Amino acid sequence: MSAGTQVHANLTEEQVREISGDLDEPEWLLETRLEALEALEDLDMPDVIRTPGRDWTNLHELDFESLVDPLNAAENKDQVGPDEVEVLPWSEAVAEHEGLLQEHFGSIIDPQENYLTALSTALFSTGTVVYVPEGVDAEDVTIRTEQNSRSLFNYTLVVAEESSSVTILERQSTGAEQDEQYYSGIVEVAAGENSNVQYGSLQNLSEEAYNFALKRGDADTYATIDWIEVNLGTQLTKSGVSTELNGDSSETQIVGAFYGHNDQHFDLDAKVWHRAEHTTADLVTRGVTDDVARSVYEGVQDVGKDAWDTSSYQRENTLMLSDESEADASPKLIIKNHDTEASHSATVGQIDQEDLLYMTSRGVDPRSARNMLVEGFFVPVLEEIAVDELREDLEELIGARLSKRE
Amino acid sequence: MSSDQDHLKETDTEARFEFKKEENSAVRSGKGLTEEVIRMISEDKDEPDWMLERRLRALKQYQNMPMPTDWPGMPDLSELDIEEIVPYIRPDVDKREGVDDWEELPEDIKDTFDKLGIPEAEKNALSGVGAQYESEVVYQNMQEQWEEKGVIFMNMDEAVREHPELVKEHFMTSCVPPSDNKFAALHGAVWSGGSFVYVPEDVTVEMPVQAYFRMNSEGMGQFEHTLIIAEEGSEVHYIEGCSAPKYGTHNLHSGGVEVFVGEDAHVQYSTVQNWSKNTFNLNTKRAIVEANGTMEWVSGSMGSKATMLYPCTILKGRGATDTHITIAFAGEGQDIDTGAKVYHNAPETSSTIESKSISKDGGRTNYRGLVHIADGAENSSTAVECDALMFDNESTSDTMPYMEIEESKVDVAHEATVGKIGDEDIFYLQSRGLDDDDAKKMIVAGFIEPITEELPIEYAVELNRLIELEMEGSLG
Repeated sequence: MSAGTQVHANLTEEQVREISGDLDEPEWLLETRLEALEALEDLDMPDVIRTPGRDWTNLHELDFESLVDPLNAAENKDQVGPDEVEVLPWSEAVAEHEGLLQEHFGSIIDPQENYLTALSTALFSTGTVVYVPEGVDAEDVTIRTEQNSRSLFNYTLVVAEESSSVTILERQSTGAEQDEQYYSGIVEVAAGENSNVQYGSLQNLSEEAYNFALKRGDADTYATIDWIEVNLGTQLTKSGVSTELNGDSSETQIVGAFYGHNDQHFDLDAKVWHRAEHTTADLVTRGVTDDVARSVYEGVQDVGKDAWDTSSYQRENTLMLSDESEADASPKLIIKNHDTEASHSATVGQIDQEDLLYMTSRGVDPRSARNMLVEGFFVPVLEEIAVDELREDLEELIGARLSKRE
Repeated sequence: MSSDQDHLKETDTEARFEFKKEENSAVRSGKGLTEEVIRMISEDKDEPDWMLERRLRALKQYQNMPMPTDWPGMPDLSELDIEEIVPYIRPDVDKREGVDDWEELPEDIKDTFDKLGIPEAEKNALSGVGAQYESEVVYQNMQEQWEEKGVIFMNMDEAVREHPELVKEHFMTSCVPPSDNKFAALHGAVWSGGSFVYVPEDVTVEMPVQAYFRMNSEGMGQFEHTLIIAEEGSEVHYIEGCSAPKYGTHNLHSGGVEVFVGEDAHVQYSTVQNWSKNTFNLNTKRAIVEANGTMEWVSGSMGSKATMLYPCTILKGRGATDTHITIAFAGEGQDIDTGAKVYHNAPETSSTIESKSISKDGGRTNYRGLVHIADGAENSSTAVECDALMFDNESTSDTMPYMEIEESKVDVAHEATVGKIGDEDIFYLQSRGLDDDDAKKMIVAGFIEPITEELPIEYAVELNRLIELEMEGSLG
């Protein structure tokens, strides 16, 4: 079934025109939105993994008609950064940097890539543009979004010019809690020659919420894009983080952490496309599943025909804290150039009983011992997180979640 | 998994009474895979009605199933025209012959045999003259040796007539039902030949049971069925010796292998396949393992235009064990999509998968594997290791494992590496006096050693030589 029938019935061109008009957008942007709206009818949901007899994630069950309320977006937003960088709300970016938007908007993620990207393109009402001029080093760009409405569509564009460097920390949370909410976030990162972009994301939405997130970067020559992707909230998250290494000697790191409990379902993917020579990728994800939570992980390392001298590594480890949880993983290698060193490894298991025994024999009570081991499990990922604030927040949130365990 | 009962319900039993013998000429002029063709095959084999019913039921299922299309990165099957393939069977069934003479074999195949130094008996069998007779002899020797212990080893067609109860119970019922996939259904409709192995309780068959490549003589060997039943506490090693390219204009091989491993039983199934390079090799192989039983798959996949083959083990009883050791070699124009599937459905089950692949001259290899650990299969463990070796920049090597873990008390590990032949290794060997080609051969021989050491020496030698020949590029 084409997914497009689900929500299309209560979406109108007028709504899209109104959103675009409120933001004072130019005609070309409105056209892009309208085209995305029209495409909904023919577009499918994002790909999910299928194995004999089952889809790993069922997006078709989502009742978009009741979840999406396009004209009632409400949020509480912080968009701050140091002076030498421009951190602009969408409407300001439209007014001040139309050329920049025209060049980059939709250039990395096709607005019509799938049903959910098109929905997001047609309806987004809030967003941030981070513009880092040539040679500028900027730390501490913060984008905090608190969702206060049934649905919220967010768009983020990062443009880092030649030899610039920027660290961005994005957080999503839920304010006045509603029963069910839908949060959709698209992030495009254009990393110019020799630039360095670090983009950390901490998703801690309400556990009644549904989340679709797609982040993708395009790395030019000698550029580095590092992602940190933390997922803690929502009842269903479909999140993708990826980098296209289009410039020679570009690099990327994707660090992922998740902790699913209750009946949370995380469908997470990390993908890298090696398209140029001497490119390097390192993908590290660690996560916990507890209660009846389910994690689905797909990791793709795609080495193209022209990607000579590639290094590509991937590790994924899931710790299962309960029998009722499920941890699915599919780490894939697609290699078309033989001048490649590529490897991946994935493990799923429980807390090591010997470690537990050792600790309890040293006088640690079993519950504390268990919690310490879970915290210890995240250490290899925490070590990779260079943003202190994000690392500390994550540690705290893991601790808080563990302390809630029975 | 569907039960036999379900399959039977779908059978159109009335069709049986409307059966009317067609004249051969009329059959020959028909188009595609039809009920008449199936009836003719069955009649030609003098099969009991129940087998004909199963064939017709499978045919219906086949007709109602779509071709697989939506697997990520699956081989291109668009050139596969089943309507063109099946009619080939009919004259063959009628004439009961394939190639009559060694000399009629294509040059490259004869050449391969000569270079391999294939055992004389096998060569005779392959040459076509009385191939059926030769294979009967092979079976007969086995029978004499083991028959007093109750071991049965015979052609699958004969088994249908001589051991109907055993076959009726196990043939495409619980292990590989025709409903499993399009090609299993096709196989169920047109299957012919293959081996039937039955090992009674507590009997150990000490020497490997070998089935030579005898299907050429019937021209329908493309659809052979192998059924192995190892009762409680028994042990057997079955080797399919189709270690040479199959002759012919056939372009579809769709075999079926079903293995029943009883409690505490141990079955090893080894095969080295090297199909002609116009062959689509689309098989379904599956084993069901009871408590403390062990299943071992050892396979080398060479040749073919496209192969889709993922031997599957269902670990049904507590403590059951599975081992997969596979090697795939893809040269020019070849897409070898192979892997392994393991379902851990009981506690304390374990599996290991070791997969090696080599791609060269634009060939593609893919490891596509599924490990499923069901809720309740506690204290199960699985370890998957895939290594891929790439020779050049025309080739492709992919790894697509899927892990579904529903139980926490498990130990699941997957590892994969891809790399080119190490320049340093070659340099080292060259510095010891080997030329470039020999150095590469030596590295490959070392790379595939885990496979060859699992095979009886003559097969190991054969596999090594086949790979050497591929590397020389001396064969089309």
